[in-house]
Amino acid sequence: MEAVINDYISRELVQDATLLPLGNATPLLETGILDSLSLLRLVMFIQEQFGIAVDDLDLVPEHFASVDTICAYLRSEAGGKAGQAGGHG
Amino acid sequence: MGEAAVPPRRRRPGRAGWPGTVTARRLLRRAGALPYWLAVAPMVARLPASLAYRVACRHGDWSFRYWAQKRSETVRNLRQVLGDGLSPEEAERLTKELFRFRSCDLIDVMRLRGRASSLGRLVEIRGREHLDTALAEGKGAILCSAHFGSYQSAFSLLHASGFPLTTIGRWWWNYAPGLSTAERRFWDLAYARRVLRHRQRPSIEPWPGRVQVAVQAAAALRANEVVTICSDAAPLGADRARSVEVPFLGQQARLLPGVVTLARLTGAPVLMVFVHRLADYRHQVLEISPPVPMDGETETAFGRCAAAMDTAIRTRPAHWFFWFETYDLSGLGLLPPPA
Repeated sequence: MEAVINDYISRELVQDATLLPLGNATPLLETGILDSLSLLRLVMFIQEQFGIAVDDLDLVPEHFASVDTICAYLRSEAGGKAGQAGGHG
Repeated sequence: MGEAAVPPRRRRPGRAGWPGTVTARRLLRRAGALPYWLAVAPMVARLPASLAYRVACRHGDWSFRYWAQKRSETVRNLRQVLGDGLSPEEAERLTKELFRFRSCDLIDVMRLRGRASSLGRLVEIRGREHLDTALAEGKGAILCSAHFGSYQSAFSLLHASGFPLTTIGRWWWNYAPGLSTAERRFWDLAYARRVLRHRQRPSIEPWPGRVQVAVQAAAALRANEVVTICSDAAPLGADRARSVEVPFLGQQARLLPGVVTLARLTGAPVLMVFVHRLADYRHQVLEISPPVPMDGETETAFGRCAAAMDTAIRTRPAHWFFWFETYDLSGLGLLPPPA
């Protein structure tokens, strides 16, 4: 997951080539890689690629601070949804 | 009381002379604002429209006469941006109109009570069919406008007339440093509460660092709702790097083309909307354009929106509230930066 997201951000969202190669811990907000509109692009990509819809309430800087935190958030979301599905079964 | 006619536009952190410097004059204006906003204007708004807007005009004239500093600043801004072709007399006349319009805007907001029918009767909406057609595609619609005319009331009216509408925009008092909690509550109660009664969702407030703005707007568009953006605001902070230069009011202005990016990402069409007041001050016309083509480079596509704003402002200059705000005009690149 980290590689896929890192690759997408590196290809599509990084404007400043000096920030490449992008580390998984590189701050995305402080460096200006992610702004409001690029976050929208990333959220759309995540939904398309992993089938995870990001809730409005989860759009907090902590979840999108770096590739690592994005993946941690997505795993917790995927785990939570799987848990909920299991609970209903 | 001049400052009380309509909430002053948002102020910038660190702006010299505001709001750390609380002068006696400003205190008096603030003291005058309370009874006017909370008691006088709501009562005036309940009068028959012809009388209510006549009173509003008189109040605007009073502000024009006694708020000399803002009056001379506005005249100067008009002449500097529109050039020497604008005579001092014409600039003075436009400024007086601006003060009247701001005062009338307040009455508009007060007439949004209930189902907003007391305002709705006075506003003719042209181009509804364009918005209906846009929403029939199921991707929502973006209404692009400017800080022009009674735009907040106009958006509320559109919502009240059946279009689920949410605004991208910030309330200045939420970001002005030095403002007390009581003052913020006052503006919330006196202004925002009335306007937001006719909105689908709470306003989406852009500010540097608020990264969720576009996603929230996209969620509204995905639900086939209407989202409004005023694209004439000066970019703030880090957003300046994302601004583009477009021809605007005879110069190259720096504006944010977010409306184009949002439209391209979501597939929502962009329609221009402007509201203007007729000569009797009480009747208004709200015009919705057909979709603006979004093809070409971002600058090209956004340039079409800027051109529409430019035309609206040049046609009816007294409707553009940024003439009051030297800081905003500087931020747009239309005036030199303040010393």
